[in-house]
Amino acid sequence: MSHAPASPPRARTEVLADGTTVITLGGDWNRQAATPAIAFKGDQVRLVTEQLGDFDSSLPGWIHAHFRQVRRLDLSALPSRLRSLVELAEQSTTTPSPETTGGLLARFGGWGLESSSSWGRAFEHIGDVALGLGRLLIGRARVNWQDFWLQLQTAGVDALPIVALLGFLTGLIMAYVGLIQLRQVGATVYVANLVSLAMTREMGALMTGVIACGRTATSFASQLGSMNVSQETDALRVLGINPVEYLGLPRILAVTLMVPLLSVFATFIGVFGGMIVACAGDLSVSQYLTQVVVAISFRSFLVGFIKSIAFGFIAAWAGCYRGAVAKPSALGVGEAATSAAVLGITLIVISDALFAVIFNLFNF
Amino acid sequence: MTTQDILVSEGLAVGHGGNVIMTSIDFRLAPGRILAIVGPSGCGKSTLMRSLSGLDLPLGGRSEVLGLDLAVATATEREGTLRRLGFLFQGSALFSSLTLRENVELPMREFLRAPRREIRALAEYKLALVGLADAMDKMPAEISGGMAKRAGIARAMALDPDLIFLDEPSAGLDPLTSGRLDELILKLRDTFGTTIVLVSHEVPSILRIADFCVYLDPDAGRMGAYGPPRDFLAAGSHAKAHAFFSQARIS
Ligand SMILES: Nc1ncnc2c1ncn2[C@@H]1O[C@H](COP(=O)(O)OP(=O)(O)O)[C@@H](O)[C@H]1O
Ligand SMILES: [Mg+2]
Repeated sequence: MSHAPASPPRARTEVLADGTTVITLGGDWNRQAATPAIAFKGDQVRLVTEQLGDFDSSLPGWIHAHFRQVRRLDLSALPSRLRSLVELAEQSTTTPSPETTGGLLARFGGWGLESSSSWGRAFEHIGDVALGLGRLLIGRARVNWQDFWLQLQTAGVDALPIVALLGFLTGLIMAYVGLIQLRQVGATVYVANLVSLAMTREMGALMTGVIACGRTATSFASQLGSMNVSQETDALRVLGINPVEYLGLPRILAVTLMVPLLSVFATFIGVFGGMIVACAGDLSVSQYLTQVVVAISFRSFLVGFIKSIAFGFIAAWAGCYRGAVAKPSALGVGEAATSAAVLGITLIVISDALFAVIFNLFNF
Repeated sequence: MTTQDILVSEGLAVGHGGNVIMTSIDFRLAPGRILAIVGPSGCGKSTLMRSLSGLDLPLGGRSEVLGLDLAVATATEREGTLRRLGFLFQGSALFSSLTLRENVELPMREFLRAPRREIRALAEYKLALVGLADAMDKMPAEISGGMAKRAGIARAMALDPDLIFLDEPSAGLDPLTSGRLDELILKLRDTFGTTIVLVSHEVPSILRIADFCVYLDPDAGRMGAYGPPRDFLAAGSHAKAHAFFSQARIS
């Protein structure tokens, strides 16, 4: 109906002597035009029209928004087409949903509450994992071993290239930085000690743990999170299968097994990377290797190995935990993946610091 | 009588996360009976099924499933009971990374001590029962909603449970398949004495297969009526349940 020029939507308010508010609607209503603002008091309203032109859903929508809480709403003067549209919506409205009030303080309060309750759930989850491991030891846990083998492959073997690359570069960078310092005191031969000790005790495990968070924890969180969305976790529970045992344990076991191996691999590659830089000018290969053998003790190897076991467990657990508590939506699964990586990396760095203190205390 | 009932609900209240949706649910169901849960959508039928099966804890009142009192049961006891029943979720909840055959095989692989070949044959039989003989190697993402429903029913039947919960099994099915499903449900009951609790909106089908019917009244927030479905056809029965049955019958 584009022949008549559109006039803007109108709403006029007047109050009758008996307290009834009469609202006169007119003009053309469509979703593009701004709807008029009105103010009225009382719970007795009558709607009438005057030169009402074309309208689309914006008019019944506007009426619904403004008058649904009016106790006595008189629609009898409206054209029947409009009235039926309004009444249809009226029927299905039971309680208007309150608009979410989000004061800054309230939101911070909610955030604090959320995070404190999520710590409770984290401990609950880790308790479930411990219980499951106990049941596994006495042979009573129901574990999806197919997932275990699959994760050995995807979280372990498939990570070899990236672990190799990052381990190699880490060794290379350390040797490069170390050489600059050691040249000043004429002790370049110790670059081998520096690189090999740092790789075995510290960097091998740390790099591998961080890679596991980025690759594996995120993938676990989205796998388990999306199983929550589609109620697949409930479908397991209704079979009497504990999802933490069935889905979580095989993943945690596989990663806790593979990360130490990857870490040893990263350590070797890192030492090799250091050798490339050291032997490019300052040292001979045999000099470097001799120093490496002197520097690495079984003890420092053990330090790195123990840490990498812990880091592997942390990465896998963070993924499983965030997946298990993911909100059931596409957004929730995405958030679960992000927060799994953040949680995993944070816990790994914190526990690395704790390990440093503990090993120091025992002169390890 | 009391101990024989497979499902007992006394003043049961159900809901989500501490929010009560439905209260005062009272009924008893003897083994081998078919119970239909009806009511407008969003009234809490799926929620009630979760509580009755022991998947969620009741928020009030008392309920028993397969002789287990859910209010006092330990988590391990509930797990053991859940294992003895079948459940079709409203959204089917098939394992999305497994084929239909593997979906049906999973419960059997976990709980039956049978050779692989036998399990496979059993799974194929259950899928054929619901008319999915041609789609056994498809992934859940590759089938229609109605087919997913049927695959979910086959999985719920995997371990020959004594009690099966079916949440809207016939939604999304054509009338012919839906009729075959009614027959399957009756046959399961007649042959194996399986007790079946189902949510349905299809009055003719309910009248045909259900022995009892629970009507949930969302306006009152409680169970409206309980009885044989034919009773609700008569005027003078519970007004809303009567409206539900007679209105759907006209259409
Ligand atoms: N996971 C959930 N968390 C919170 N509320 C829910 C959840 N699922 C359903 N509800 C609410 O519970 C009520 C009953 O839902 P449901 O049992 O699915 O209804 P029905 O199966 O009868 O259609 C609805 O109001 C719905 O909003
Ligand atoms: Mg439902």
